[in-house]
Amino acid sequence: MKIAITGGKGGTGKSTIATALALELSTDNKVLLVDADVECPDDHIILSTTREKVGDVHAILPSFDQEKCLKCGRCSEVCKENAVVFIKDKYPFIVSKQCNGCGACILTCPSGALTEGQQVIGAIYQGKCQQPYLKQEHDLLLLWGEMEVGCENTSMVVNATREYAENRTSDYDCMLIDTAAGTHCNVISAMVDVDLALAVAEPTPLGRHDLELILQLLKIMKVSTKIIVNRSDIGELKLIEEVSQENDVPIIQKVPYERDILKKHSRGQPVIHKNIEELAYVLSEKS
Amino acid sequence: MKTITVLSGKGGVGKSTVTASLSVMLANDNKMVAVDCDADAPNLALVLGLEDDDFDSWESLTTGEKIQLSEEKCKSLKFCPKCQGLQKCVDACKYSAITWNQEKDLPEINDLLCVGCGACVLACPVEALTLKKVENGRIGVGQTRYGFPIVSGQLKIGESGSGKVVNELRKKASEIAEDIQADYMILDAAAGIGCPVIASVRGSDYVILVTEPTPVAFWDLSRAIELVDHFNIPCGAVINRCGINRDFTYQLQDYFRDNDIPLLGTIPYDIRFVEALVNLKPAVIYEPNFKKVFEEIMDNCLLDMKNIF
Ligand code: SF4
Ligand code: SF4
Ligand code: SF4
Ligand code: SF4
Repeated sequence: MKIAITGGKGGTGKSTIATALALELSTDNKVLLVDADVECPDDHIILSTTREKVGDVHAILPSFDQEKCLKCGRCSEVCKENAVVFIKDKYPFIVSKQCNGCGACILTCPSGALTEGQQVIGAIYQGKCQQPYLKQEHDLLLLWGEMEVGCENTSMVVNATREYAENRTSDYDCMLIDTAAGTHCNVISAMVDVDLALAVAEPTPLGRHDLELILQLLKIMKVSTKIIVNRSDIGELKLIEEVSQENDVPIIQKVPYERDILKKHSRGQPVIHKNIEELAYVLSEKS
Repeated sequence: MKTITVLSGKGGVGKSTVTASLSVMLANDNKMVAVDCDADAPNLALVLGLEDDDFDSWESLTTGEKIQLSEEKCKSLKFCPKCQGLQKCVDACKYSAITWNQEKDLPEINDLLCVGCGACVLACPVEALTLKKVENGRIGVGQTRYGFPIVSGQLKIGESGSGKVVNELRKKASEIAEDIQADYMILDAAAGIGCPVIASVRGSDYVILVTEPTPVAFWDLSRAIELVDHFNIPCGAVINRCGINRDFTYQLQDYFRDNDIPLLGTIPYDIRFVEALVNLKPAVIYEPNFKKVFEEIMDNCLLDMKNIF
């Protein structure tokens, strides 16, 4: 079973819920938690895991052979990222940070002056929980991607992290994927082929607005979806209930706000809550 | 005109709340334009009390491109020694957007994953693939009731290119800024440090970093600071909800001091900020007592900018 935890807006508690749920599920199941928020992966901080690098993520960076170049400028014409600077009668220049590694310039170069080189755009890490206050045994492995700062190629790092995780799913009963905020390519890549998406939302006007957006995306992606209301007692629950009805997406759980949660959060501790226990139970029944 | 970008790395630390209140304060004595650069989940207009229908105008954007396959042309390749069975397009796509459909014996394109880079077009020997312009978002211009205009965008759901939408937003905002002779442009950046955020930060004059005293927010902030350093832009910090963890607040203060990042101000934890959000009002309007806090941040920010420029 592959479950994505998403939410549209940042700060609705995606990572809080994802880590708490992973902890709950991992008392009885082997759980692989994948933090696909490669711009700002947080789960390893919340779970204070060990940090072991398992590999780099590479993208194509064209390597340039001046001897062969005809100064035709075609490479610059095809590059949609404006990563190739070309001035007539001069050699082209490739701005590596701007290059997203699509390879189009290499395909178009008539003289073979451009070939496939590589640049590192991120890395994949794994870690085990080291929480001293965890009472039980948890069979939980966290995998996360970290994008190089300044790179724009987020979805490739997400894809590479997921690919690495997919190759290991046979060792696990359940894979949880914690996505980034928003609805763009990095979130889409994180949710391709999942069995279920949990959309975490806050009962505020902003929360409703962002929930509507992520539900639209999930509908296009044809992913079966359930809503989790976080901080359900702050704001107006009605706002989320309306969206739930309009979109025919059920609310599966409500997690109330507790001052304690905030305190734990401020210490970087995962939250353990009876409603999340219930949720874990429901989900593990399914899988 | 100076461009100030508000950034946090982590979402939900109160970036839009801070941006909205700072904008209201700034607009008291200056001409300014606010821009919501979170095209994935735009919220700034809502925080400023503007719903979609309240905008003066919306225009659609077509900066996106998607691939289209002509099955006939591809099939015509049965006898072509160049591609037959080689599935060149599948190899060419570095975004996993093309897979081979065994049943149909044709490539299959996942529209959601295609970023429109055009590599497959170049790889295909029979021009079976073409790029088509698609509508990938919209831009709205509205007038807040606090005396300044706002430019806001929305990436079309399922489309890629939020960085490009941000570029268009900034272009539009610059036109308006020119019209009204604005002194400042305030950009509310998206969460994370990816392409939409880079498009917001690049070319800004100053960055306001918003964080809260939690280890998670701090870790994200440090990545955001790396990005700001990467573009070599001066910045100052604001600690939001400083009451939730005193010790960590002190640690943050030390960190800012050690790294020569001026602390522009701290904002206490107060449930009224949430109430302001629920009521769709900027915090300084909902609770005039908050004015002092934001005034201080604004003054420190402008002072720091004055010293730099
Ligand atoms: S690989 Fe793609 S993005 Fe990079 S320089 Fe070539 S065409 Fe541009
Ligand atoms: S396309 Fe090839 S030959 Fe033409 S300018 Fe670029 S690198 Fe040189
Ligand atoms: S345009 Fe680029 S991303 Fe889209 S299918 Fe072709 S190679 Fe893949
Ligand atoms: S490269 Fe062109 S001809 Fe070959 S499989 Fe792809 S679309 Fe068909």
